Amino acid sequence: MPCRSASRRTVVAVVATTIIVVGCGPAITPPSPTPPSATSSAPSPTATPPPSIAGRDAPPDAVLAAEGGDAVTGQLGTYVWFGTGSDSPWLTGAPLTVGSGEPLSLKVVPEGRIATWEVRDVPAAAGGPEEARTIAKGTGVPAFEAPGPGLWTVEVTVDFDGGAGRAAYFWHLKVE
Amino acid sequence: MITQRRPQLRVASLLLVPAVMAALVSPATRIAAHSPDPALGGDTFAQDARLLYDWRSGATPPAAMRTAINAAAADVGETRASRAATFAYDANGGNPIGYGTGTCGVNGLACFTRDAPDGFTMWFREHGRVFDWGTLKWCQMYTDPPNGCYDVETIALDEFGHVEGLGHHVNYSDDSDYTDAVVQTYSRTKPKDGYNMHVLGVCDVAQLQIRYDIPGASSKYSTCLDVATVMTLSRSAASVVYGGNVTFTATLKVVTDTAYGRLSGNPVSGRAVRLQRRPPGTTTWTNFATMTATSPTGSYVVSSRLYSSAEFRAVFSTPTNEGLRGDGSPAVAVTVGSCTTAPCPLSTGR
Repeated sequence: MPCRSASRRTVVAVVATTIIVVGCGPAITPPSPTPPSATSSAPSPTATPPPSIAGRDAPPDAVLAAEGGDAVTGQLGTYVWFGTGSDSPWLTGAPLTVGSGEPLSLKVVPEGRIATWEVRDVPAAAGGPEEARTIAKGTGVPAFEAPGPGLWTVEVTVDFDGGAGRAAYFWHLKVE
Repeated sequence: MITQRRPQLRVASLLLVPAVMAALVSPATRIAAHSPDPALGGDTFAQDARLLYDWRSGATPPAAMRTAINAAAADVGETRASRAATFAYDANGGNPIGYGTGTCGVNGLACFTRDAPDGFTMWFREHGRVFDWGTLKWCQMYTDPPNGCYDVETIALDEFGHVEGLGHHVNYSDDSDYTDAVVQTYSRTKPKDGYNMHVLGVCDVAQLQIRYDIPGASSKYSTCLDVATVMTLSRSAASVVYGGNVTFTATLKVVTDTAYGRLSGNPVSGRAVRLQRRPPGTTTWTNFATMTATSPTGSYVVSSRLYSSAEFRAVFSTPTNEGLRGDGSPAVAVTVGSCTTAPCPLSTGR
């Protein structure tokens, strides 16, 4: 295991009579999680979700809209959701045109309560999270202002209430 | 409510975060950077469980990917530094790993299900699949892997980490700690730093140690942790004759705290523990002896003949190579009688 920024110290030798032998634990009986079918859209959950989100096998959709504007469903990126998860790259995002500094708000549909959230943006041409900057974060309903004029990728990371999971959603903002 | 980024918090205080973050309202409760990977919900597997997987019927990964997945399973066993489950291929394993179209959502490279303590599944998207974000390239499918490919072994190690119960690591804003975890929200592609990590990172290991415990009392704690210890000290006698022998016994343990999970209350053996003394009524401690670890129960012992009264304490200094915080015991006093048999020193010495 790497130990970064650590200098070695001499440690007093000790005779440990309890030795845990790696790999000698009991073999686990094969599980019976729901096998992912070749046509399903996401792994099946293995924990019991609360009633408000029962039946979902992936995080709910997230829609972003300016006041009075049409809501646009974001692209779902990396998530963990109860006993399942999916790893995705940084995405380009669903297209949405807004005005500079315009207030934007996010809703999850059909339903879902958000504990905490964070919004990051990066110029759309960047193509990755390396230059991303946090522009807002908070609790409850996500709300933030559109960045300055230009093309942006906006990532909204949401932690769902009750430990249900965490998901990243993406939009490609054309800011006028 | 919109807030600004808050200062990072100490790891010790963060250990509670996954459990309480939903209940608190302050944005400061969001998991700060460089803490142990968050814990996924659900149970853990049995300590040191050996989880056997096989290839999903009709969806067997190509040979090059099978080799890399098997290597990732070995990586877990070699670098878990904990009693987390291990993984191995078995033709009748029963925990299927598949490859091909379908599953993993619209944009996923790979995905998992976990049903601890019973089992898991895993899936890898097919090489060459065209997504909105680009074409999926697995490095192991090339003789000369191109830039932009994903390392199968790294991605599989990430997925095995999820199966163990690890959530995505939260990095510093500049990602300078990226290689402290392989379980990442965004895996990197060749040739970016960390794209081909074949070991669990210190912050992956930290959460594994919390959830599964360390292998033994003398094992190192991940440097991604900041675990408080508590030292106690006892002596065989509170008063002895001049030159009498006294045995000091110190005990070093991890502080009992539910935030530490399976590490709570652990005995800590094999560390450097010093016995210090000071004359009664003074404040300056001086090193007196090195205490010897005697067992995996966290006990350290030293015996000495005493020629003057003194107070003693045992000290474990914070090490720089692991995630333990040092502690010193409360002082204990030993009263030594006067010298009655010549030759006696002019002044009391040791």
